[in-house]
Amino acid sequence: MSETKTVRITIDGRSIDAPVGQTVLEAARQHNIDIPSLCYHPGVEAFGACRLCVVEIRKHNWTPDWKQLVTSCLFPVEEGLIVETRSPEVMENRKVVLDLQLARVPNSDVIRQLAAEYGIHDTSYEKREDADDCIMCGLCVRVCDAIGAHAISTLSRGPEKYVDVPNKDACIGCLACALTCPTNAIEYIEEGNMRTIWDKTFEVVLDPVNKKPIATPEQIAHFSKQSGLPEDYFTKSDATRKKETAASFARVMFD
Amino acid sequence: MAKRLFVTPYRCTDCKNCEVACSFVHTKDPRHPALTRVRAYTLKNEVKSVVLCLQCEEAACQMVCPTGALERNPETGAIERTDKCILCKMCTVACPFGNIHFDEQYEEIVKCDTCGGDPACAKVCPTGALVWADEPIPDHKVEEQVEVKPLPWAMTMPAK
Ligand code: FES
Repeated sequence: MSETKTVRITIDGRSIDAPVGQTVLEAARQHNIDIPSLCYHPGVEAFGACRLCVVEIRKHNWTPDWKQLVTSCLFPVEEGLIVETRSPEVMENRKVVLDLQLARVPNSDVIRQLAAEYGIHDTSYEKREDADDCIMCGLCVRVCDAIGAHAISTLSRGPEKYVDVPNKDACIGCLACALTCPTNAIEYIEEGNMRTIWDKTFEVVLDPVNKKPIATPEQIAHFSKQSGLPEDYFTKSDATRKKETAASFARVMFD
Repeated sequence: MAKRLFVTPYRCTDCKNCEVACSFVHTKDPRHPALTRVRAYTLKNEVKSVVLCLQCEEAACQMVCPTGALERNPETGAIERTDKCILCKMCTVACPFGNIHFDEQYEEIVKCDTCGGDPACAKVCPTGALVWADEPIPDHKVEEQVEVKPLPWAMTMPAK
């Protein structure tokens, strides 16, 4: 294995060797140091939208009274970095963030629970009217981009900003956005072989044997395009394939 | 040579010890067992067979994954699903053997990780259909080499 260059940092008094290129959040999590986050997902590029992951940093060449609050999901590790994840300033900052989030999504169980952990049971700001559970973290946008469908985007600006699928044709109905949303804000309905998400209804392809839903035709077309495999490759469920494998294993062994 | 999981389907009796062991080892909540990664079957003509991930060298699941979430563990050789997974489920339809699944209960992609190099299924397989060893065990050696440990068991209380 190739040697990766590491730097030595200190998180909450613990000395840690972290590979160059890692962020403070990743280094902390790798060593089981808990930093709360909402918009961070290890599979996609960090975005720094929710501000919940703030930590306090100092650098070795700074005068001792200098410190800075940074989003740990974006901040890269560097030699001699000193990180505090629970200093009074950090806790105060997180409280403000959660207080604001609670005003934005007062009905979200996830945010309510998180806020309660920081002693906030009601927001001190004005609650948003007709609030959905979206915290505008943009994770769905990044997830959809990673899949290559590029269907979701943020629209409008400032307090009016929202997420939507402007071009319904682009959505392949894979549900990845809904399943990864940190506040479960993206609703979808699955009924029999019908699936509805982002106001678009899909007729899901069913497995020929067990009649279980496999994927939407749009998903299959997209998967086929991405992988170079023919579309009819994707028309069986994993369960059916597995049983076929079992049968072919048995056949090989008996012959 | 590192240990491998040797599958000998004709020794399988479809007793399902492996399935039970697998789902309990991977569960986070004892009330809801996880989806089993290994499956035993009784096929046509009472033929039995057992299947689990082959940890392919050029794995279709790995190749289609858009975030590189399926990583090979250099120590065990197993391909493991990491937290980079964004649940697009492309791998579940791409695997030609049907060995990677979406667990609806836990909303996560599951596949055999050889339990980190100590597979529970092989430990409870009473017939040597699944063996975790350096090399395959020939039929005439199975009985002396496969040590069967009893499963932990529980008893139900009859309803009054
Ligand atoms: S997790 Fe860092 S800003 Fe959201």
